This record gives sequence, C-alpha cells and structure tokens, in this order.
Amino acid sequence: MTLFTKDGCIKCQRIKERFNLKELGIKVEKITPDDYKVLAHLAWHELVDLVEQGKLPILVLDDGSHLDHEVPIRRFLKQYAREVGQTEAA
Amino acid sequence: MTSLQNLKVTRLRPLGPDATDMALFVRSSDEDLQGWNRQRIVDALLRETTVDPGTAETIGMEVEDFVRQTKIKFVSAPLIRELVNAKLLEHGLEDIRRMHTRLGMPIYDVEQLILQQNKENANIPHGPEATNLTLAEHIKKEFAFLNVFDQDIGDAHMRGDLHLHDLGFIDRPYCSGQSLEYIKKYGLSLPNALSLAKPARHPEVLLAHMVKFAAALQSNFAGAIGWDAVNLFFAPYLVDLDDQRVKQLAQMLIFEFSQQAVARGGQAIFSDINLYWEVPKHFADVPAVGPGGQYVDNSDQAGRAEKPYLTYADFEKEAQRFLWALFEVYLEGDASGRPFFFPKPLVHITEKFFQTEGHREFLHLICQVAAEKGNTYFVFDRGGTAKVSECCRLSFKLEKSDLEDAKTPWRMRYTALQNVTINLPRLAYLAEGDNGRLMSLIKEKFELAVRAHLQKKAFIERLLEQGERGPLALLGMNRDGEAYLRLKRASYLVGMVGLNEMVQYHTGCELHETDEAIRFGLEVIAYMKTLADKFRAKHGMNFVLEQTPAESTAYRFAKLDVERYPDQAVKVVKGDLSRNEIYYTNSTLFNIGAEVNPIERVKLEGLFHPLIEAGAITHIWLGEKRPSAESLANFVEKTFRWTQNDQVAFSPEFTTCRSCGRTARGLRETCLYCQSTDVEGITRITGYFTKLSSWNKGKLGELRDRFRNEPYFPQGAASAQSAAA
Repeated sequence: MTLFTKDGCIKCQRIKERFNLKELGIKVEKITPDDYKVLAHLAWHELVDLVEQGKLPILVLDDGSHLDHEVPIRRFLKQYAREVGQTEAA
Repeated sequence: MTSLQNLKVTRLRPLGPDATDMALFVRSSDEDLQGWNRQRIVDALLRETTVDPGTAETIGMEVEDFVRQTKIKFVSAPLIRELVNAKLLEHGLEDIRRMHTRLGMPIYDVEQLILQQNKENANIPHGPEATNLTLAEHIKKEFAFLNVFDQDIGDAHMRGDLHLHDLGFIDRPYCSGQSLEYIKKYGLSLPNALSLAKPARHPEVLLAHMVKFAAALQSNFAGAIGWDAVNLFFAPYLVDLDDQRVKQLAQMLIFEFSQQAVARGGQAIFSDINLYWEVPKHFADVPAVGPGGQYVDNSDQAGRAEKPYLTYADFEKEAQRFLWALFEVYLEGDASGRPFFFPKPLVHITEKFFQTEGHREFLHLICQVAAEKGNTYFVFDRGGTAKVSECCRLSFKLEKSDLEDAKTPWRMRYTALQNVTINLPRLAYLAEGDNGRLMSLIKEKFELAVRAHLQKKAFIERLLEQGERGPLALLGMNRDGEAYLRLKRASYLVGMVGLNEMVQYHTGCELHETDEAIRFGLEVIAYMKTLADKFRAKHGMNFVLEQTPAESTAYRFAKLDVERYPDQAVKVVKGDLSRNEIYYTNSTLFNIGAEVNPIERVKLEGLFHPLIEAGAITHIWLGEKRPSAESLANFVEKTFRWTQNDQVAFSPEFTTCRSCGRTARGLRETCLYCQSTDVEGITRITGYFTKLSSWNKGKLGELRDRFRNEPYFPQGAASAQSAAA
C-alpha cells in the first residue's frame, strides 16, 4: 500500500501521526514539484487529476483501488491496524 | 585589365522600405539592365550589415577584381551577392555573411515543386496556390533559422533532435480557439477589410460572418481554428425556426467549412467546432447574446426584475435541435456519401451530459455517425474540467480566470504560439540504457525547446507591436479593450514523438507488452511534465506538453535516425524499410499495429493523458468494419467512467470512385460498383480525414500496420443513409 501526501497537507500529517505506517507496511510518497517518479506512480494509479483537485491524502490499496480524504483512510487504517495488532496513537 | 564598362548587370530593383515595390516588380516582367557599379556592393553591405565602411570597400574591390578576371558579359544581382558572401567568408566574417545572405531556392527545386505535389501536409491540394505557399514557406523557414532562432536551435531542428513546427509560418502563432460571441457582438469589422458588417440579425448571416472570420483567422495562424460551444451560441438565433430551416443551416455550416478551398495554399479551413448536448455549467447563467449583438430580453414580465435577460440555459432546446441537425448532416455525408473532412465535430462528454434529458438518443446518433462516417470526436471533460478543443487533440483547459471570462464569452480566445517536438527514440540511442543519462538528455532537449519558444515569442511580440497597422493586424485588433490575440493566455507546446520506440529501445519491451514498459514510459512523460512546470514558473509562460499530431514529423525523425543511427534505429523503427515507408509511433500512443483490445488501449493510453495538459487522443481504427451504434455508445460511456482518457475517435475507411461517384466501405483497388480503378482511398491520417493520395510515405507505412480491431466490435446494421458507404 502507498500513502500519497504533500507538504502543507494537514490531513496527511494527522494520518502519519496517528499510525505507524512503516510498521503497517505502508509506503509514504511525498508529492513534490521535482519528483517525477511519484508523479508517474500517481499516473499509473490514475490519481493525477485527484491530486490536482486537492484530494489528499490518498491511500492506494494492494488491489490497486484507492481511498481519498482523511476520514475513510483513517477508518480503513484503524481496522487494518487492529487486524495486524497495531494500536492507533491517541 | 578587362574593363567592366560594358558589363551588364541584371537585377531586380533594389528593395526599398516599402515591400510593395518588390511584390509589384515581381509581378511585372520588367528587369533593369544596368552597368556595373561597385558602389552598389558597398551600399548594400552598409545598409544590411554591421560591417565597417573600410571593409565594405575592400570587399567591393575584391569582387570587382574577380568579375573582371572572369571576363563575364552578363552577371545577375544574385550572383554578385553570392560572390560578396564568398569574400566575406574568406575574411572570416561569418556573422556579416549571415546578415547579407539571400534567401531562395534553386531553379531545379522550383520546377520540381511546381510539377510534383508536396505531401508534408495532406490537407493541401496540388496547385498554384499550394506552390506559392511552399515557396514562401521555404524562404520564411530560412529566415526563421537566420533571424529568429539561435544557430544551435536551428541545427537541432536540422539534425532531427527537435522539430520546430510550421517554420514556414514563423510570423504566425500556431493554433487558436475562440468564440462566436466575438462576431455576434462586434460584427465583422476586420482590419484591412473593404467593408464592415454590423452584428448579424439572422443565423445565415451569422454563419457567413463565421466562415469569413475563420478564413481571415486561417491566414493569421499556422494551424487549426477552433470554435467553442457552436450549437449553444447559435441557439438564440434559432428561436421559432422550423426544423427544415434549422437543418438547412446545419448543411450550410458543414458544406461551407468543408468546401472553402481558400486558405493557406488552397486548402480547406482547418476548423473544429466544439459541441455540447447540455448547457455547460460555466455558460448556464450567462446572458445570451442574440440577434443584432444584443442580450435577449426576458419576455417574462414577472421574472424580469431579477433576470432582465435570458441566459444560455434558456436556449438548451434550440441548441440541441441544431446539434441534432448537424449530426444528421454528418451522417448523410456529402453528395457522394463520403465523410465530411471539416469542420471536425468535437462533442464534449461530461457528467452533466449523462444527466441531461435526451442524452441517450443523442449519444446513439453521434455513435452512429462515428460508426458510419467516423466524424465524431468524443472529448471527455471529467470532474468539472472544461476545455476548448481544436486540431485533433490540442485543448485549452479552462482555468478559474477563464471561467470568469465565461461571463463575457467573447473574451474567451486562446492560442498556442508554437509547438516544438522532441525526438524521443534518438535520446534512447544516445543514452545506451543509462536512465540518468536519458533523463539528462531529455532535460537538455527540453531546455532547447524552451529557448526556441522564447525566441518565437519575442519575434511575434515584435510583429504585434505595430498593432492594427502591422503585419498581424487582425491579431492586434482591439474591440473589447484587449488585442484579439491574448498573448498572456498563450500556451507554448512541447510535444514528443516515439515514446513507444524509446521505451522499446531502452527497456527491451514496447509499451503494450509489459506493465514495466508502461511505468517507465510514464516516468519519461512525468519528467517532461515536471520540466514544463518548472519552466512555467521560471518564465511566467504556460509551457505544456502536447501529444504532437506529427503527421510528417514521425516520418522525418524516423528517416533521419535511420541515416544517422542505423544500427539502433532499425531495431525499433516501424513500417517497411525497403519501401522507405517508415515511421515512429506517434507521441505516447501504443504501437498502432499491436493487437490490443480497444478498451484496454483506451485505458492504458489514457494513463498518460492527465500528464499531457494540452491534449491527447486515442484512435480506434475500424477499417471496413461498421460496429453498431450501441456498442460504440457503451464503449464511450465506459471510457468516460472507467478511464482517464482525454479523447477518442473511431476511424473507418472508404473508397470513393472518380468514375461513378459512389463511395464504398473499406480500402479497395477497384470500385465496388463499376469496377473502375480510378478510385481514391479516404481515412483519418492523424487528426482529420483526407485522401490517401496526399499522404507521405511514413503515414502510408503506418496505414498498412494499423490494427483494425476486427474481433472487438460486433457488426452493426447499415443505415439507410449509408447503403453505399
């Protein structure tokens, strides 16, 4: 799984603080103007337009589907973390 | 020493400050016969270059000595000029020589041009106007290399590292998109026109204004002329018109644009009309401009206080009626049943489209046209985006400020100033498998492209400085407080050819073969996009990527690479080497011969589209097949909902007979009806329909390779209108 974030994205920051993403096996990719590889990755998952509309954070799941916006992502990660035995930060 | 007293010099009269002198002289058959005068050499050098008087005298004397020694009886002014240029080179004065250069063409080449068709642009028929165009383009190309672009940029173009499009139109912008509202509001009052027309009161007059304006615009732009929301903006003129008159108007519009062989070299006006079934959100509440260029009064007394004028939302039915009629005409085809080549109808598919009453039936109709004649372009505007499209894929995405302009739609005028295309496969040959080197080469060429844009922009700005009295008078005309050409909204296109071959050479696999190939291709295009964004921020100019149509560029690059990189290019170049019908795959398209399920092609090619802001398209070649309208409608809806693809077009093929005048489906050597061999094939070349006889070799090679999707579309029933085609 991959979480796409961006500097200055408060919702992205909250997700990162709430969960130990590394332990959950989730890779964090930060979108920057220069990082073409992240942009290509977004394009592969058909997410470029979503990012341009400001819909961050975006979590791409193992099956290639995605969740965007903080609430659905938090809900998913909470459930996922429970399944793998990780506790959510307060 | 031989006296030069009796030496005769044939010359054209010297070019004065008024270029009319030259043009008038050429048209007369006068020539001056004058005696030799060395001072004329000196005068020309001092007038045209920065050489000092002493050097000019020296050069003049040396040329005079040479001429004397040859004992020649008659010498022409061009010969003298070349002798002077040779002397300048001997003196190491290359820069001065450049300033003194004469532009032109050898007599042999001129003869060949007059006798044989130039197939660089399949839209230009062979004839005197076309020849004039080619000759003029030749001189302007040379001028561009010497006077507009730096030498390294010109060299990069000549070598085939880049392609600077439309060099022969160096004194024009590339393509444009505009709104009928401009002529609805201001009438037809063009600079240099012999008469002025007030705003139209009747739809037929509006159409006449539109066609005239398009023709005028065509002589000020190098490429396509696009029109936004045509059916919507005609709608206020169609109130209370009966169906027959609306149909007649639709026929007039299509026939006018498809038969006006008056533009640039005698070609038809390369025109695109953007069409909407629904009223686009950004126009819904905009007061409608109607007959006489006035807002249309709201006749509802009760509502008038709040809404004094009718808005475009109020004219939805008229807009739909006209749109339906247009597609009925497209479905019928011309007198021979052939598809209309122009204007190209671009139907915008949006979320609102699927919520608008009648959309199912309309989608069926335009898909029927796509199946029968291939005309329809399906442009997908997802998630609230709006675009004005033109050419075969170029589009101007409307930003927030443009949506503000939508309140005064006559201000919605867009242009791409220039397109510069990068030869991607060549970079793979040079990179030799090294990713870092490849990206570095891309950056190097991109920077060259940016410099080319800066220089073209500077040149156009110089021409525009003279406003309505200058060479770009129409573009400088100001009727609404702003020059017609809104340079601050111009786009600067960077295109690409041969991504497929680049990836194939670099990774060993073509785009359609593996996910890794696609992902690497995405990295290349993503890198180019980041460069475009970076240079946009640096220069305040809207650099954007475009899928270059590359009608001749794909062939040109392939030919040059086979010459310069034979060992590498032959491994990946497409087409038939033995016939020299070779090409690179266009832009970011997948191998056009690959047997890929069309919905998968649309989806996977669509992965690249969000990175290519100035527009992209996927072509579905149909060949002789005539799929059902239902199958195409399902395909279109799936494409909109489940992919990121920007635009699709379906392309059938036809054979038209010059003997009996009938048209049949498919490409044939003989007429299906009378067995004549005097037949002409017709299909879409890159972004428009045209006759195969005008195609260049690269495109003919591509035509042979096209995968025509036979297994994937169920055959539909032939419509009554297309019993032949």
